[in-house]
Amino acid sequence: MSNIRAIKLLMILFVVNIIENNTAPILIKAFINIPITFLIFSFVIYKSKFNTNALYAFLFGLYVDVISDSPIGLNAALFLMMAYVVNSYSNTFKLFSSIQICLFFSGASVFYIGFSHLFVNLENFSYLILFTSLIFNTFLFLIIAMLRFYFPFLASR
Amino acid sequence: MSRVSTSPVSKSLYFFCIVLSLFLLYVDINYKSFERTKNLYKSFTISSAYLLKRVTVDPFIYIFEISKEKSGLIEENKKLRQELEKSYISNFIISRDSKFFIDDTAIENFLDLNSINKPFYHAKINSFDIEKYLCCSQHRVFIEIFNNHDINFIGSTVINDQGIIGQIIYDKPIAEVLLLTDVGHVIPIISENHFCNARGSGKPGIITCSYSKLIWPNPIEIGQEFFSSGMGGVYPSNILIGNVSDINVIDNTNIEFDLNLVADPLQSIYLGVFEGL
Repeated sequence: MSNIRAIKLLMILFVVNIIENNTAPILIKAFINIPITFLIFSFVIYKSKFNTNALYAFLFGLYVDVISDSPIGLNAALFLMMAYVVNSYSNTFKLFSSIQICLFFSGASVFYIGFSHLFVNLENFSYLILFTSLIFNTFLFLIIAMLRFYFPFLASR
Repeated sequence: MSRVSTSPVSKSLYFFCIVLSLFLLYVDINYKSFERTKNLYKSFTISSAYLLKRVTVDPFIYIFEISKEKSGLIEENKKLRQELEKSYISNFIISRDSKFFIDDTAIENFLDLNSINKPFYHAKINSFDIEKYLCCSQHRVFIEIFNNHDINFIGSTVINDQGIIGQIIYDKPIAEVLLLTDVGHVIPIISENHFCNARGSGKPGIITCSYSKLIWPNPIEIGQEFFSSGMGGVYPSNILIGNVSDINVIDNTNIEFDLNLVADPLQSIYLGVFEGL
């Protein structure tokens, strides 16, 4: 975590969690779920120049569990899985195109939604939400990825 | 710069942490073991948000509320003052109905007849050229009617706390009242079975009436009371207008007499305006 220090990331996750809590009830009406907190953490470890420590991901996961009122251990496990995958394939990702990266992240987000729904919302588990979220998130990430081509000053940051 | 591949120790640590997370998840879902921690965090965030709001936002809201309350009080004060002024007129009608109207039921009949829930609107004299009133024949008053509705007041009767003083001839933007004493004004009046059209004399407080003995043989006496007849369709009937003050015999058949009006427009600046009949 060379660029973003732990405290800074804690604050970012706190703010993002508030945003997620406010946007989720609106988006779910359109059967869309965007796990913003999880994606931000994933993006941070993806952009990191060093491998993420397992304890680091575990503690951040616990922190998100507490602030998001999720069952303790849910985000911790998912953050660890994501950190492990990103660390393991960090060099492989460099061979991927932007579209492939976007597909990977949207797939990860859908896995997060499905996994969390298994524990939190099993009775209302919906494949429709997974499917629409996959499509929506893929296009959303593609648009975000394309922003740096249209707004180069964003890429330099 | 490329990252180093994950070492077996690191993998083991990941495995251990994932297992630990799943264990915690199992414990939390089945035994609610971490509810206390979650509730502690929730109470902390609620308290923090409350304190933060109290320190940052509430002072501004308090200042805003105070300023709003102040302007609200001023508005309420104005409204109460208007209500008080209106009540002056109401009290006058209630307390003097036996004198103002020919009998006690007249006001009720008047209100019932016209289906008026709000019998009059309060008004205030805006401009009154007293010099012109005392010297000349044109007697007009300009009044401001306190009314929020778009009502046509032309022809409406204007009263003060003594009786009828005139009728409105223009109502916008400031209503112009033609007084009973204006030479251009005529009001049909009645006393018992004696009808007459009384003209304004141009003198303050006096209107004049002339009649023929051949039509109305009964004699007129000084002090005799005349009431509005309502025949003109402008004024309500049976309202005391004035008393006979002077009788002039013009010739063998024609007699002219003056009436001293009971209502003096100089008496009060607060007036009542009846809705048009």
